[in-house]
Amino acid sequence: METPVLSAEQNELIKMPLSGSLFLEGTAGSGKTTTALGRYLYMLQEGVPPESILLLAPQRTLLQPYVQATQWVEAPPGSVAVPATVGGLARRLTALFWPLIAAQAGFKKPEQPPIFLTLETAQYYMARLVRPLIEKGYFNTITIDRNRLYSQIIDNLNKAAGAGFPHTQIADRLKSAWVGEPVQQHIYEEAQECANLFRTYCLENNLLDFSLQVEIFTQLLWPDPLCQRYLIEEHRHLIYDNIEEDIPVFQDIIRKWLPGFDSAWLIYNLGGGYRTFLGADRMNGYALREVCGSRTTLETSWIALPSVAALRDSLLESIVTPEASHPNPLLMDAVKVVYRNFYPEVIEAVCQEVFSLVEKQVSPGEIVILAPFISDSLRFAVMSRLQSLGVPVQSHRPSRSLRDEPAVNCLLTLAKIAHPDWEISAALPEIRQALMVCIQDLDLVRADLLARICFRPSRWREGFSSFDRIQLEMQERIGFWVGERFERIRRWLEEYQVGEQQELDIFLSRIFGELLSQPGFGFHTNLDSAAVTARLIESVQKFRQVVGVTLSAESRAIGREYIHMVEDGVVAAQYLQSWDTTTSDAVLIAPAYTFLMSNRNAAYQFWLDIGSLGWWERLYQPLTHPVVLSRRWPSGNVWTDIDEQNENMESLTRLVSGLTTRCSQGIYLCTSRIDQQGDEPRGKLLRAIQSILRRLPNPTEVALV
Amino acid sequence: MFNPRPQQAQVIAFRAGKMGVSAVPGSGKTHTLSHLAAQLILEGYIKDNQEVLVVTLVNSAVENFLSRIKGFLGESGLIPGIGYRIRTLHGLAHDIVRERPDLAGLSNKFQIVDEHESENILRNAVNAWLRGNPQFISDFSSPNVDPFTNHKVMKDWHALAIDIARSVIRLSKDRKISPLELRRKIEGQGMMHPLLELGCQIYTDYQQALAYRSAVDFDDLIWFALNALQTDSAFLERLRYRWPYVLEDEAQDSSRLQEQILRTLAGEDGNWVRVGDPNQAIFETFTTASPEYLKNFIREPGVEYRPLSNSGRSTSSIIRLANHLIQWTNTDHPHLEIRDALTAPLIEPSPSGDPQPNPPDDPEAIYLSDKKWSPDRELKAVADSLARWLPENQDKTVAVLVPRNERGARMVEELKGRGIPYMELLRSSLSTRQGAEILSSILKALANPTAASHLSSSYSLIRTRQNEPDDFKETIAAAAHILADCKNPEDFLWPSPGRDLLAELASSNASPALLEELEAFRMDMRRWQAATLLPIDELVLTISQDIFKEPGDLALAHKLALLLESVSQDHPDWHLEELQLELEAVAKNQRKFLGFSDEDTGFNPDAHPGKVVVATIHKAKGLEWDRVHLLSVNNYDFPSAMPYDSFISEKWFVRGKENLQAQTISLFNALFMRDAIAMQLEGKEAASKARLEYAAERLRLLFVAITRARRELIITWNTGRAIGQMQESQPALPLAALQAFWKENQ
Repeated sequence: METPVLSAEQNELIKMPLSGSLFLEGTAGSGKTTTALGRYLYMLQEGVPPESILLLAPQRTLLQPYVQATQWVEAPPGSVAVPATVGGLARRLTALFWPLIAAQAGFKKPEQPPIFLTLETAQYYMARLVRPLIEKGYFNTITIDRNRLYSQIIDNLNKAAGAGFPHTQIADRLKSAWVGEPVQQHIYEEAQECANLFRTYCLENNLLDFSLQVEIFTQLLWPDPLCQRYLIEEHRHLIYDNIEEDIPVFQDIIRKWLPGFDSAWLIYNLGGGYRTFLGADRMNGYALREVCGSRTTLETSWIALPSVAALRDSLLESIVTPEASHPNPLLMDAVKVVYRNFYPEVIEAVCQEVFSLVEKQVSPGEIVILAPFISDSLRFAVMSRLQSLGVPVQSHRPSRSLRDEPAVNCLLTLAKIAHPDWEISAALPEIRQALMVCIQDLDLVRADLLARICFRPSRWREGFSSFDRIQLEMQERIGFWVGERFERIRRWLEEYQVGEQQELDIFLSRIFGELLSQPGFGFHTNLDSAAVTARLIESVQKFRQVVGVTLSAESRAIGREYIHMVEDGVVAAQYLQSWDTTTSDAVLIAPAYTFLMSNRNAAYQFWLDIGSLGWWERLYQPLTHPVVLSRRWPSGNVWTDIDEQNENMESLTRLVSGLTTRCSQGIYLCTSRIDQQGDEPRGKLLRAIQSILRRLPNPTEVALV
Repeated sequence: MFNPRPQQAQVIAFRAGKMGVSAVPGSGKTHTLSHLAAQLILEGYIKDNQEVLVVTLVNSAVENFLSRIKGFLGESGLIPGIGYRIRTLHGLAHDIVRERPDLAGLSNKFQIVDEHESENILRNAVNAWLRGNPQFISDFSSPNVDPFTNHKVMKDWHALAIDIARSVIRLSKDRKISPLELRRKIEGQGMMHPLLELGCQIYTDYQQALAYRSAVDFDDLIWFALNALQTDSAFLERLRYRWPYVLEDEAQDSSRLQEQILRTLAGEDGNWVRVGDPNQAIFETFTTASPEYLKNFIREPGVEYRPLSNSGRSTSSIIRLANHLIQWTNTDHPHLEIRDALTAPLIEPSPSGDPQPNPPDDPEAIYLSDKKWSPDRELKAVADSLARWLPENQDKTVAVLVPRNERGARMVEELKGRGIPYMELLRSSLSTRQGAEILSSILKALANPTAASHLSSSYSLIRTRQNEPDDFKETIAAAAHILADCKNPEDFLWPSPGRDLLAELASSNASPALLEELEAFRMDMRRWQAATLLPIDELVLTISQDIFKEPGDLALAHKLALLLESVSQDHPDWHLEELQLELEAVAKNQRKFLGFSDEDTGFNPDAHPGKVVVATIHKAKGLEWDRVHLLSVNNYDFPSAMPYDSFISEKWFVRGKENLQAQTISLFNALFMRDAIAMQLEGKEAASKARLEYAAERLRLLFVAITRARRELIITWNTGRAIGQMQESQPALPLAALQAFWKENQ
C-alpha cells in the first residue's frame, strides 16, 4: 500500500500527545481516515500495545481501511488491534459475561450458552413465528411480500433498541404519528404483537437478535461495574470513525466511556448521515463534539475543478429554492447531459461515453456509474456492454442472491437427490441445469437428453438410473465421455446414501472435494464456483449453529429446512459475494448511497435515472418509519406531508452534496423520457436540474452526449 | 402554425376558473387543449416547479398531446417536458400514489398487476370458489342444460362468474369499500344473496392474492390516490401548487372517483377545463364511468360553457348521416329511455374560409349495405372491396372497424390470406407482439433443446423480422427446412466427431451462403444455450442484445426482462418453461402490455397510407381515416333493447336467460340505498335496465365509428352465428333508420 502524503496539519495531529480526546471533523475527502490511520501507526511506533487500541466504526465496510492497515502492521500474532463495530463489541461482551447477565436479562435458560442471530437467522425465526398468524388473517389489509414483512418487524425492534425506548412502545409511536386510513392502526398493533412474540421466543430460547444484543449491552453490561472495569482496562485508546452513522445508544455509551480512555479520537464526517434509515443519528453524534477535549476541522485537500463546485452550489440552491436560484454558468464545464427516449439507449450512450473517457486515458477506477437503485437487468446490461467494449467494470451491488447462483442450484439439487427423505422433489429443468454445471463441457442438448432419460420426475425418490442401461444409440448421442462422468456422479450419490446421512454442509464439502472439483467436472476449473461453494458451506454452517438445536429438538432435518429457506427467498437478502471493497482499477456501478458509504472519490460520475423518485424519497416501509421511531421525533406528533418534504429535501441535499464533494472533473446527468418500467419520470432532482438548465444564459451550450 | 377557429380561440383564451367544453368529433379538441397548455406555459402562468396537468383517457392520446405541445413550444431544451405533465387518469393516480406510497400502506416498490395478471388471479379465485360451491351453478342453470356434463357450458359459466365477481370488485373499489366492509354491509342489511356471496368471497380472495404479490390493480390506484389526497392536506396543498391548471380530455368517460380526484386536485378556486363529447361515451357498460358527470359539470354554477361544434373532419354527407343518428335517437327511438343517449350539439361543418376546411362532399362515397351476409361472406366482401380500392388509392388511409377483437382477428386472417397489406390496432399491438413472440420462441427452443421444430421456428421468426432481400429469402427457407429436419439437434449445435451436420452439408455442396447462415445461427444459439444458467432477466437481455437493433425493440426487451424478473420472484419454483409461457401470453395477444412502438404510444393513421388498419371501434377513438369500413352492424353487436334482440349478457344457459351480471350490480347498488323498494329491483327489471344502458352505449359506439370517416364510409352487417337458442341476427335498428334516411335524401 502506498503511503499517502500528509499535510503538516495532519502530521501535527498524528503526533499529538497520547492523551486526551479529539473531535476530528471534515467533509468527504478531507483526509480524516488517512489521518486516523497515521495516528494508529504512530501509536504503535510509540509502543502502545495494539490490543489496547479500540478501532470502531458503525459498519464493517467502514472498517475496511483499518482492517487493511492492521494487516501490514508488523506485530506479533494475536496482538493486533481488531477493528470492530460497537455491535460486535456488544456480542463479544455478552458472550463473555453471559453467566452474569443471562438471568437478569430474562433468559429462561441462563445455564445454556447464548445463540447470536444474524439478520438471516433472525428472519428465519421471525418467519416461523409470524407465518401461522398470517394464515390466521394478520396483515391481510396491507400489500407487502412476506419476507419484507418479517424484516420490517425485526427492523422495528432494532430501531427501538437503537434509539433506546422500550420495544413495547413501537405501535403506540407509529399510531400516534399516522395520518391516513384508520385500518393501518390495526396493522401497527399486529406488528407490535409479532415483535413481542419474537422477543418472548428469543428469551425462552437464548436467542439474541441485534436488538437484544444492543439492549443487553446498553442496559445491563455497560452499567455493570465489573464489565465497565473490564472494558476500561482492556481498551486504553479509541479511534472511532464515522460516528455520525451510528445509533444513538452507542454514541451515548461512548460519551460516558470517553473519560476512561487515555486517548480517544472521534471522527465525524460533515455532510454524512446516510444511515438514518438504519437508525443512525448524526446530531446525537455531533453532540459528542462538546465533550471532547479538543476539536479540529480538516479542510478539503481534494482538488475539484471550480466548475464542479459551481455545479454543486447551483444544484443545492435549485433543489431548495428553484424560483430564486441563480445558476453559475461556470457549471457548464462540469456537466454533460445524456437524454434519450428509451432506457437502453441511455445505457448504450453511457457505455460509449465511458469507453471514450478511458480511451482518453482516464483511469477506469476514476469513473463511477450511479443510480438510486440498480436492478439486476440494469447491472447486467451495463456490465456486459462495458466488458464487450473492453472496459474493466465492477459492481458494488452484491451480484446475485443464493437461488440465482447456478453453482448453488446445482449443489442443492444434488443434495435433494441424495436425501429423498427430505421430501423435496427436484424438477426436470433443475436436473438438467445441475448436470450442465457439474459435468464439464456438457451442452444443453445432451444435458436435456440425459436428464430426461436418467431421471423420472414421478419417481424422483429413486434418484438417477444408470447410463449403462440406456440404449446404445442414445448412449452414442449423449456421448460416452458424458456417460462416464455421469456414472461417477450417480455412483457417488449411491454410495453416499448407503452410508450414514450427514449434515448438509458436510455433504456439500464432501461432494465438492471428492467429486465436483476433480478433473472432468464443472467445478474443477471454475474458480468462481469453488468460491461460491465455500460461501454456501459457510452459510449452511452458520445456519446449523444457530438453528440446529431448535430443529433437532423438533427432529427436523437442517438441510431440508435450509433448502426451503433458500427457495422461499427468506435468505434472499443473504448474498454470497462479499461486500469487501475491491480496489481494482475498474469502472464502478453502484447505488448512490453505497458509493457514498464506500469512502472513495471519482473524477467522473454518471448519474443514471435522474428523474427517478429514488434520489429523493426515503424507503417506504408500511410497518416501520425511520423518523417516527427515532429519538428526534416528538412523541405524539402527526407525520404530515410537510415533514415528509423536509426530510426528503434534507436527504436529497445531503446526497447531492456528498456525491459532488466526491467528484473532481465532471458529472453526466442521464435520463430517458421513458424509464425502465415504461413510466415517464419526474423526480425532484430532474426538476431541479431542468430549472438550472432553463435559467442558464445559454442553455443550448450545455454539452449533450 | 395553428390558426384557431373562433370557437377554439374562446377555449384557448381561458386563463382562470372552471370551463366545460362539449366538443363534437373532429372539432380539434386535442389540438385546442394542447395549444391552451402551451399558451399557459409561454405566457408565464407556470412557475419553475409547477406544471400544467393534462389528463386524458388512453396512453395513445398521451403521445398525441405530447408531440403537439412540444410543437407549440418549439422545445429545443436539453431535457424536454418542462412545465407540463400529460397523464392518463391511471398514470396520474400512479404518480400520486407513487409519491407517497406510505399513505396507502405501500412500499416504494409496489407492483401494479396488469389486466392479464388480474384476470389470472380472478380466474383462480373463481375456480376455487365454484369447486367449493357447485350448487351455485346448478341453482342458476337453465333446466335444459346440464353444465356438469357439457364442457363448453361449464367454461362459459366460469367466464360468467368471473364477470360477476369483477363487477362486485369494481363497484366496491369505486365506493372505497374493503372486502371486510362489504361483508359487514351485506350481513348488516340482511341481504344474503348467492350472487353477492360469490362476489364478496372472491373479492376477499382476490385482494389477498394481490397483497401476497405486494401488488395493486388499476382500480386500487384510483382509490388510493383519492385517499392520499383526502387524508394528508399538506400533500394535497403541495400538489395543488404543482398543478395550478388541470386540463381534462375525454371527460365523458370519467367515473365518480376519477372526477373526484380531479375535483379535489383543482380545488374550489382552482383552474379546471373539462373537454369531452357525451356522445362518445363508450366505456360505461359494467364500469362506473358515466357521461352524466360531464353533463352535470357543465350545468354547475360558475362553470363557463363552451361548445366546439365545428368539425372540418368529414364530408358534409358523413356529417349529415351522423347528425341524423342523433336526431333519430332523440325523436324516433322506440325506447323513450334511450332517446337521450345521443345529445346536441349537432356537428356543424367548418365555416367558409376556415383554416381547417371539410373535404369536398361526395354523397356517392357512402354505402349502407342491406345485403344479408353470413359473417364469413361479410369479411370476403370487405376484402374484395379493399383489393379493388387499394391499388388506386395508395396515398389514402383506410380502416376496417369492428365491434370486437375476435372479429378483427378474423378480418386480419382474411387480409393476410390475400396478401393485402394491413396493420392491427387490436388488443396489443403488432410489434409488441412480434418482439415478445420472437423472444418467446427462442425461450421455447431453449426450454426444449432437443426439439428441432422449435429450433427451426425460432430461427424463421428471427430471420423474417430482419427484412432480408427477397433473393435471400430462399436461403432462409432452406436453412429453416434443414433445421426442422434435423433429427438430433446436437449434431447441428454441438457436433461430435463424425456427427456434424454442417460438415456433412459442406461436403454435399451446400451453398456457402446457406452454410454461413446456419453457422451464424449456431453461434447465437450456442451462446443462448449457455446463458440458460443465468437468471431469466439476464438471459432475455443477452438474447435481445443479439437480435434487436431498434431502440424501441430493445426498450421492450428491457421491460420484458424486468417483467420476467418480477414474475420469477413471485414464483420462485418457475423454470424456463413456465416463464416462456408467460411471454407467450404477451405474444399471443391475450395480454395487454404497453410496448414501445408508436402503435402503442400514439398511432398516427396518416403515417400508414395504402395499408388497411384493422381496429376495434374503441381503439379507433380519436383517430380518422379517408375511408372507413364498419362491420357487423347487426342487432347482436348493436342491439336496441327490442324484444327480438339477443343480448350479449343474457346467457342462454342461465335459468330464464337472466342477466346475472346486471342483477348483481343492481343488488350491490341496493346495498347502499335507503329505499327498500329499490332493493327489490331484481331479475327482469335489472335485466331490462341493463339492456337499455347497453343499447344506449352501443348507439354512441356507432356514432363514434361513423365519425371516424373523412371521405368514404361503408357499413355492412352480418347474420351472426346461431349458438344455442340464439336467433339469426338482423340489421341493427339504427342502421335501418340511417338507410331509410339516406334513401330519402338521395
